[in-house]
Amino acid sequence: MGQWAGYLQLILEGALVTIKLTLLGSVLALIMAFVAGLGRISRFWAVRALATAYIEFFRGTSIFVQLFWAYFVLPLFGFSLTPLQAGVLALGLNVGAYGAEVVRGAIRSIGKEQYEACIALNFNRWQSLRHIILPQAFVLMLPTFGNNAIELLKASAVVSLISLSDMTFQAQVVRAQTGSTLMPFLTILVLYFLMSSVISYSIRGLERYLTRGLDGVRS
Amino acid sequence: MPPIKETRTKAAGQPPIIEIDGISKSFGAFKVLDQLSFNVAPGEKLALIGPSGSGKTTILRILMTLEGIDSGDIRISGEHLYQMPGNGGLRPADENHLHKMRAQIGMVFQLFNLFPHKCVLDNVTLAPMLTKNTPRKQAEEQAMQLLEMVGLADKAKSMPSQLSGGQKQRVAIARALALQPKIMLFDEVTSALDPELVEEVLNVLWRLSEETDMTMLLVTHEMGFAHEFADRVLFFDRGKIVEDGKPEEIFRNPKQERTQTFLKKIIAAGHRV
Repeated sequence: MGQWAGYLQLILEGALVTIKLTLLGSVLALIMAFVAGLGRISRFWAVRALATAYIEFFRGTSIFVQLFWAYFVLPLFGFSLTPLQAGVLALGLNVGAYGAEVVRGAIRSIGKEQYEACIALNFNRWQSLRHIILPQAFVLMLPTFGNNAIELLKASAVVSLISLSDMTFQAQVVRAQTGSTLMPFLTILVLYFLMSSVISYSIRGLERYLTRGLDGVRS
Repeated sequence: MPPIKETRTKAAGQPPIIEIDGISKSFGAFKVLDQLSFNVAPGEKLALIGPSGSGKTTILRILMTLEGIDSGDIRISGEHLYQMPGNGGLRPADENHLHKMRAQIGMVFQLFNLFPHKCVLDNVTLAPMLTKNTPRKQAEEQAMQLLEMVGLADKAKSMPSQLSGGQKQRVAIARALALQPKIMLFDEVTSALDPELVEEVLNVLWRLSEETDMTMLLVTHEMGFAHEFADRVLFFDRGKIVEDGKPEEIFRNPKQERTQTFLKKIIAAGHRV
């Protein structure tokens, strides 16, 4: 049993890398989702075109290919990234493209009457978006954002292919060294599930927190 | 509710606050407004009545810049609403110009359009804080006075979802008033309310007309209220003004056949005139 403790240690080190990738990737994805989602509804043609191109490109190509580009091809153009940077970049840009459509859809789903109230109260476009539309739309985005974050967590396993020692990578190391598949892969199965559960529960809690005012008294 | 129209006709002789000059508007092939012209004097209480689809709501929406016009001209306090001076002539209004013009006009909607994620107080304070840079404390004091006036000071911390329709509409009125507009547009403000809640909203309108000299345009199906409240009634049909006169004339002796037919239908439907 003693040897397993050492191997478990290895897998837990990988788990930390996976958590780091997921957190950083999610932050980048969230930023990209808002930048591109708002870009899609911009008044300016060029901004809309740019946002659309980004979304279609990153949704339309595989994350595996994007990761290899970020890690192996970009250096040919003089941009060298560490495996972690390449992983965060590929995961964030890929999931951000999906998130952008969520942002756009949620904003579009806010009724015309809210926009009209904003005009009647003489808000400018940014004030309407910032104070009225986005706070209501954000609540609608949350469940899908939760899904996207879980997708990102699971997709993070592809970084093992560029030799970043994440949880999946470490499980393979343990498997190669011990010849046992069950122990390492059962361990990471449970760990992935725990991590995605944490994401689910956090998002649900946040959702409850943000909607509490909509049918209850605030403060 | 004593009608006090005589004291309000002081507006005569002053230049009109709203000048509508030959405006037309189509939605696709449907012509909602057809070469429409009328003026409104400062302080005038104007009721716009007529069958649905006759264009009365569209006029309010155009004045609030929620819809543009296809042709014609509108001036508010002598200034073009949809055009601005530039290059020695006139050019289409930009956002800054619209912003300046909108500051004079407030609107209350049929379905209230409150902000559901903001408490009653925040609904009322947000516009002055954002568009006039009113400090929060001052905006809140002012909002409390307005909520007092509409009888909802005790609901300041409630969320809109906790209010009845009549209460929501009174909050919406307070919210529009917080910007101190010269002109208030009321678009069928009681149409979505249960019958027993209509009166509390109409009472607020009465109070407003008695305590302020705001110009008020009211699109309504409450003929009894229009009769007592308005200085002047416009009857619309198919995008044109069919009849324009004092409420007594329009409701008691309509000259046009279309007005007569409309009023008969309304009475048959159980409305008091």
